[in-house]
Amino acid sequence: MESGAEFKNKMDPKEAADYFKHLSLFWTDMAYLISSKPSALTSAGPMRKFSLQTKKLANEMIEANDDLIEFNTKLAEYYKQLSDTWTESQKRFNTKIPEIPNDVENIESSKRVWIDIFENAFTQLFDSEKFGENFGKLISSEIELSKHWNNMLAVLLESVNVPTKDDLNEVYKELHSLRKRISKLEKNERKSGVKHNGE
Amino acid sequence: MENELKIDPILIEEFLKFNKNLIDAPKMVPAIDEINLEMTPYDVAYSEDKMRLLHFNSSIQKQHKTPLVIVYALVNRYHILDIHPQKSWIKNLLNQGFDVYLIDWGSPTNIDKYQGFDDYVNGYIDNCVDFVCDEADVEKVTLQGYCTGGTLATVYSALHPDKVKNLIVTAPVIDGKKDTTVVGNLAKHMDVDEMVKAIGNMPPEFMYYVFSILKPFEQGVEKYIHFFKNIHDKNYVDNFLRVEKWLHDTPSIPGELFRQWIKDVYQENLLIQDKMYVGNQLVSLKNITMPIFIQVAVGDHLVSPECSMPLYYAVGTEDKTMRIYPTGHVGMIASSFSQKKVLTELGQWLSERSK
Repeated sequence: MESGAEFKNKMDPKEAADYFKHLSLFWTDMAYLISSKPSALTSAGPMRKFSLQTKKLANEMIEANDDLIEFNTKLAEYYKQLSDTWTESQKRFNTKIPEIPNDVENIESSKRVWIDIFENAFTQLFDSEKFGENFGKLISSEIELSKHWNNMLAVLLESVNVPTKDDLNEVYKELHSLRKRISKLEKNERKSGVKHNGE
Repeated sequence: MENELKIDPILIEEFLKFNKNLIDAPKMVPAIDEINLEMTPYDVAYSEDKMRLLHFNSSIQKQHKTPLVIVYALVNRYHILDIHPQKSWIKNLLNQGFDVYLIDWGSPTNIDKYQGFDDYVNGYIDNCVDFVCDEADVEKVTLQGYCTGGTLATVYSALHPDKVKNLIVTAPVIDGKKDTTVVGNLAKHMDVDEMVKAIGNMPPEFMYYVFSILKPFEQGVEKYIHFFKNIHDKNYVDNFLRVEKWLHDTPSIPGELFRQWIKDVYQENLLIQDKMYVGNQLVSLKNITMPIFIQVAVGDHLVSPECSMPLYYAVGTEDKTMRIYPTGHVGMIASSFSQKKVLTELGQWLSERSK
């Protein structure tokens, strides 16, 4: 039988990630099965609810890790694009102004040239398809991370019977619809000439 | 020595002067929080949720019957239209004898995250227009919209043409596909559905980021060097700090409104194609049959002229005027140029149609 180290060495990173994911979920399940009976005794307290959700918590953490990798890749690409543009602009500036200026007039004009070169290059980058695409993906991966964060927080909040984000969204939605209905009613009343106190 | 670096003494003098200015700055310049951006006095004529309808006080006799309702943009606050006594859009219009109202959207919070185009257009704007019509005893108002406010005013005029006597749009976002700015590029690549679902309202920090990459070196570096060089010029410093304070006062944008904005206007470009729905009603720009005045700036790096100009060809009215100015997005509304040229032409056009 091969050892753990030999097994890991043979696997590619994706397989290794899946293996550890499975390992983690297996033990979370086992912990839940072993501990669920005693914790059922305390169903009125937070531990029962929390233990029911531990698997979800573990899952969220594993997935957040995957998204963190994606986020870091896109962030690295983002800084690479900035750094490449900077280097390229500096090269262009050095070709245009090879000597270090040493009087006020020259410094002023060199500064203008520097700003123009950098401004054009960076605006071109920010306007480009490759920047827009990477930026969109960077934001999306950041959003995925915040979703996991929200979901993990929801587990904790639910365990102590505190409203979660979804619960609050329901309230906001209801309030929005009520405000709309009230506004419509007020408008209709105004139209029919009914006068309100305090209006 | 041959290789000795010779430095111009004036350069050393300039350097020392600049350093002295840096040290002197805190003694000479007020803190941003100490600056009051409220200029022209006003009354809050009507309010609903966080929105306020401001009615500006004028010392000049009202000369035109039709009141003007300004729909401010969703980004930053309205203060840029009244930023400085010598550059105030509002004061100029009051001095031309117009009765000026302005819609201030306030600062939306989480409770407002489900507010969309329908709430803004058929709710707030419509209620404000009704209020002004009642108060001024008129059937219709003149509507002016700036930037994203221009889009809202355009949509309102298309859906309620019977309540708008004249429409003025200043740098409106209309044809998202033709927008060539950085804002347009980022908007086209966003997964806006997921974004709004996860974070709700669009946070001000995200807006700051978008603005910081527009002209990053001129606006992010040179502007501040220039500021410290001119620290002794009171008028310059006052104007600079006012604009800076305005720039950094960016409220959140309600999530649903932001979602519809990015999707319908930028990504799917529905507005210019007469395919956009607001509150179950189709927005047809052909319904804009009232006189329209479109103001566009050639150097606009927030809303490119190509994005605003198609409105001229899409509306149903014959009485249409478009002016293209050699300035930028803010220069068009808050500069000496706007006082001399933009507002003079606007006043002339509007006074002929406000009887």
